[in-house]
Amino acid sequence: MTGVSAVRQVFGFFSFLGRKTGKTRAFAILGLIPVALAVVVRIVLHGRSGLMAAVFTEILMVFFLQFYIVILALFYGTSVTAEEVENRTLSYLITRPIPKPAIVLGKSAAYAVLMFAMVGVSLALSYFIMNAARLSDPDLYATFFRYLGVLGLGVLAYTAFFTFLGAVLKRAIIVGMVFGFGWENVIQYFPGSTQKLSIVHYLKSLLPYHPPSVGGGGGGRGVALLLFRLEPTAPLAAILILAVVTAGFLALACWVFRMKEYLYEE
Amino acid sequence: MTAVIAASNLSKWYGNVLGLNDVSLEIEEGITGLLGPNGAGKSTFMKLITGQMKPAIGSVTVRGRKAWNDPGVYQGIGFCPEQDVFYEDVTGWEFVTGLLRFYGYSRTEIRERAARALDVVDLTADKDRLIRGYSRGMRQRVKFAQAVAHDPDILILDEPLSGLDPLGKRKLIKLIKDFKRQGRTVLVSSHVLPEIEALTSRVVLIHQGKILAQGDIPFIRELIEAHPHQISVRSSDPRALAARFVGDKSIQKMTFGADGRTLVVETHKRDAFFSRLTGVVLEAGIAVEEISSPDDNLQAVFEYLVGK
Repeated sequence: MTGVSAVRQVFGFFSFLGRKTGKTRAFAILGLIPVALAVVVRIVLHGRSGLMAAVFTEILMVFFLQFYIVILALFYGTSVTAEEVENRTLSYLITRPIPKPAIVLGKSAAYAVLMFAMVGVSLALSYFIMNAARLSDPDLYATFFRYLGVLGLGVLAYTAFFTFLGAVLKRAIIVGMVFGFGWENVIQYFPGSTQKLSIVHYLKSLLPYHPPSVGGGGGGRGVALLLFRLEPTAPLAAILILAVVTAGFLALACWVFRMKEYLYEE
Repeated sequence: MTAVIAASNLSKWYGNVLGLNDVSLEIEEGITGLLGPNGAGKSTFMKLITGQMKPAIGSVTVRGRKAWNDPGVYQGIGFCPEQDVFYEDVTGWEFVTGLLRFYGYSRTEIRERAARALDVVDLTADKDRLIRGYSRGMRQRVKFAQAVAHDPDILILDEPLSGLDPLGKRKLIKLIKDFKRQGRTVLVSSHVLPEIEALTSRVVLIHQGKILAQGDIPFIRELIEAHPHQISVRSSDPRALAARFVGDKSIQKMTFGADGRTLVVETHKRDAFFSRLTGVVLEAGIAVEEISSPDDNLQAVFEYLVGK
């Protein structure tokens, strides 16, 4: 079987398995949180579209970008290899006539599609509920697809990184949590080029950016703006860097998975 | 006959723990039993053959090709792991068809092969039930089905009979023998001698990562017979019983157990001892409560062989 065909078969197998797991049901339910929030906001802020747009931006930034795609990618990405070792099902896969990298690529692709579907449904429902009054506005859809694209890139980059972590480490989920909710959350707010060491920086760079107004508040607020200011990377460069991160970590994960022996814990 | 599987000076460590130590072995067509106590290195050897592990020293080849990281080798191998593990959220049918996808068959062929394999293990009626709801015997059988569904010419079975009831064991033994009759190679591991005996007369004894002996069952039996058997007899009057056997030349040693009711006899001629014991017991009117053979297990046999 060729490599591409093997990837396709692994993709098909794990797309099917992924849909049936309790983990997927739990994360799909988690994705209903912004939908419920959107319903509440729509009722409370009825007719105040400007405020609703601001609330949705917060949902997008806090829930989707910094929580949902990170936790999804963390659990699905690390599980590409780790769950096979923990559940001792790896023997069923690596004794088949398919190249080992095909297992990593096919399974992570299957999980990425699954995550993207969950994120997409959650985003679409919450976004269109909050913007129900503007459904005839073409800009609404352009913005939606922009958000969806950014989240899709985020899913890919984080999944690749966590797949690599899962292939290398035994307790990848702990290290992944520190990275996803520690490093990524903190480093993105540092001024200068330090923030470019986070994935979320490039994702934020692709979103509509409103520079903070200088001197718009008191002294304290001014300092806060200095600390929390995004210094965006150009969109094309951000996309390229995210693509390199995705491809690079997936290639590393494939290499590690091919070379490493995975032993079951007795 | 050409070796199907060949190991040469094969060693494997788990950190500081030795899994396999300088094993050189050739496995030919037919059924070969890999016999050894738990932790002897049977599974390690099988994982090396199936490319799940890389040899630390030496090499292992399957039909002349190195097993590690060569997917082409796995086309002709069916592997049934020891662990009772599955993708639990799928049915037996989904499990077997899912794994068959990795052989490049068309959808029709996948369905045909899965149906055939599940039929062979008598799971056709239960194929649409979730594996998590299967009994232990059914789980063992579906594991066997996934190993044979692609018609491999080499079958590696790690403790396939463990956990099966006698009827299930008999069925699986028949299936394995059918497989052999088709001119294929089967390597089957067990820590239970009678299980291996029921399958084949060709045995490899493995203990503490080393091959202790290999040959047919009578040869292994001879090795075992070369060592005295211990027989423990608990009775109402062990000393009177011992007195009757003092002059018996087949007895090498007699001791009394700490409970004061047990006579422990060491003999090379177990059958002769048992036939004489019956007469003695009846003649002397001694009430025998229990007869056991503390060393009549594989672990003891291995200890004899190691100590040899």
